[in-house]
Amino acid sequence: MRALASTGLIALAFGLGATYATNSFGWFSTANLIAGGVALAGATVFGLRNLRGAGAPAFRSTLARGFGRVALALLAAVALERAAAWLHIQLDWTLERKFELSEAVLGALHEQCPAVIIDASLYYDKTDPRVRSSRMLLSRMARTGCLHFDLRHLDEHPNEIDRYGISSSNSIVLRTHEKGRPERWQLVERPTEGTLYEALYRLRRQHSGLLWVARGDGEGDVQKTSGAGYSGLAAAFATEGFKVHEFVGPYVEQIPDNVGVVVWIDPKRQLRSETLAVLQDYLLRGGRLVAFLEPGRETGLEALLARWGIESPDKVVIDPASGPVQEDAPGVDPLVYNYASHHPAARGLDSGRMTFFRGARAFHLHKPQIEDDLEGVAFTSPRAWLEPDLRVLYRRATPHRPASAATNFWPLLATGRYQRGKHEVRIAAFGDSDLASNRYLRTLYNLDLVLNTVHWVADQEPAITLRPKSVISHRMQFPLPIQNTLTRFESLGLLLPEAILILGALVWARTRNA
Amino acid sequence: MKPLRALIRKELTVLFGSPMAYVSLTLVVLVTGLIFFEHLRIYNQILFLYASNTMGGFDTSTIPDQVNIRDTVFFPVMENLGITLIGLIPLITMRIFAEERSRGTDELLVTSQLSPGRIVAGKFLVTWSFVVLMMATSFVYPAMATVEGGIGLQNLLAIFIGLSLHAIGLASIGLACSAFTSSQLVAAVAAWAVGFVMWDFSWANPIVSESVARALDAIAMHPRYASFSEGIVDMADVAYFAGLALLCTSVARLSFDWRRVVG
Repeated sequence: MRALASTGLIALAFGLGATYATNSFGWFSTANLIAGGVALAGATVFGLRNLRGAGAPAFRSTLARGFGRVALALLAAVALERAAAWLHIQLDWTLERKFELSEAVLGALHEQCPAVIIDASLYYDKTDPRVRSSRMLLSRMARTGCLHFDLRHLDEHPNEIDRYGISSSNSIVLRTHEKGRPERWQLVERPTEGTLYEALYRLRRQHSGLLWVARGDGEGDVQKTSGAGYSGLAAAFATEGFKVHEFVGPYVEQIPDNVGVVVWIDPKRQLRSETLAVLQDYLLRGGRLVAFLEPGRETGLEALLARWGIESPDKVVIDPASGPVQEDAPGVDPLVYNYASHHPAARGLDSGRMTFFRGARAFHLHKPQIEDDLEGVAFTSPRAWLEPDLRVLYRRATPHRPASAATNFWPLLATGRYQRGKHEVRIAAFGDSDLASNRYLRTLYNLDLVLNTVHWVADQEPAITLRPKSVISHRMQFPLPIQNTLTRFESLGLLLPEAILILGALVWARTRNA
Repeated sequence: MKPLRALIRKELTVLFGSPMAYVSLTLVVLVTGLIFFEHLRIYNQILFLYASNTMGGFDTSTIPDQVNIRDTVFFPVMENLGITLIGLIPLITMRIFAEERSRGTDELLVTSQLSPGRIVAGKFLVTWSFVVLMMATSFVYPAMATVEGGIGLQNLLAIFIGLSLHAIGLASIGLACSAFTSSQLVAAVAAWAVGFVMWDFSWANPIVSESVARALDAIAMHPRYASFSEGIVDMADVAYFAGLALLCTSVARLSFDWRRVVG
């Protein structure tokens, strides 16, 4: 019986091994699996025959108790596992907590649920290790009950590969089906919580309004994809549901009332008085403006903002609390960790969620009318001062504070809310434009500060949230120095087994001598 | 409790009094180190292959997402180690009950003050402790090297817990097999075969229905073990391994009754 059982187990194991190795049921694996199964069945029959002598009641009860205990243990094991699974207790111990869904993602999922259920298909290749992590992320999202997901092997769905334009493994297609409406879908090629969130946001049929971006006077270009461009900002606006339209300032005679927000990014030339008048007229009709300024410029936009109580002296902020960044002098690139926590635009931002400004000017706020509401939103550290010599921006030397320069929590983002007749005017001004450029938009929490400010200006506070990060950490893509590894392998990696083996030899020798 | 303590002490003395424990410890540490080092070498080569496009300097923007320490080094190492343990653990567990039976010393144990349940508990506890110690020693090297790689201590801890639970599960299977035979070889082969079969049932997917495939997937070890490698500690997975250990303990306990009846 034992020989038969052993042979059966070996044949079964080899059959399975061959199946794993060749990834198919060849003649070898099939023959082994059948032979193994037959041998094990034979061994079981022989084993049962041995039990014939155990027919006495005493023996029967002993065995019954034994089998009863096994059955009870099996039941307990299944119950334990099911109970634990039902409780859904999962601890995410990854460094970046990549499986803990953010409020933003949960909100995006629940927003349309249960009216709209999202189908997610993860297209994979067996050799791609990233699939496991994407699958886990999707299963977390599926637990909300608002998303169903399945896995599809790339080779088995060539039509879908063509239809959705899938170019690589580990791609996810999100689809929504609504009665009477055509299917909507989004392809996510590098699934992270952030990219999935953006795709979920784009799947919504929400329109946040019309957003006009100024150009024609050297403003930041929302079509430029290089680091200095602002195409990322335009894409983020589109993701948030804004319809982005570029307008040439000097050629516009009036900004229509249906424009939700006007965005003016760092004009480099003096704006014509007619352009400024058009903007002023739009604001007085309840317009909304988001302006990105830079130190060293006087374009007329600064003067217009000053008329609304947001003054920005042409000085550069030096914040000694911020260290040197790239080749800039220490302190000229403020790392902001002080926020007006009650302001909706700064919701969720705190000292652990910083934003990065690169060469910024600060604001002085004074109310044009007593009922106006002006606030600083993001501030420097209290050690910061305003430096009138703008050449510090181009020097590498550490700037020194003149005795006359006052230190303060200088606002780098200011907002104003004004009631003018029947209309409410909202204005936000950033003391820097680089924070919204492609190079820095996704640095730290810049994207959240910018988008949340725009949402506040557009009076869409429910859309204010902290978005999950869509960029993967490249920290894990550095080489571990091979020499270090070798040294460690020789020291710890070999020393430890050597020590254990020597200990074993000593024990063995002692046992033999005894 | 006193006889149980005495049994545990005796088991520990036998275990650490034989060179087998040290040889198996050494083997596991060496195998882990070699697997890890080989993956690390390949990873560094791939990394430089991609980064060399930039003609000097090191630019991470040219490296594909999937080439990173977690996916290219740590997960494959853990995967390989998981399979390696299926082969190694039965070598440790094969003698625990089988040796006593072949020498006839199990009769002495049964006639002592200890109940079969306690004998089983004592042997299981000692073996589980040993395999956890084994995992700890084998884990030191990859852990030290990859802490630098930004994988995070908590993630490492999750992997260690997964590895230990997997080893405990395999040791439990090995002990249950050892309890039913007096031949160490049969015990090892049986444990190896059961462990190998239970590792992954994805091979059966093409020939069974979807619901059966899901049920098989639920009892397979690999999916449970894999989520720990990912940095997720799921209580359902912990409960799975605890349940497996409990089941094997009761099966080992059954062997005493079986022997009384069948011989």
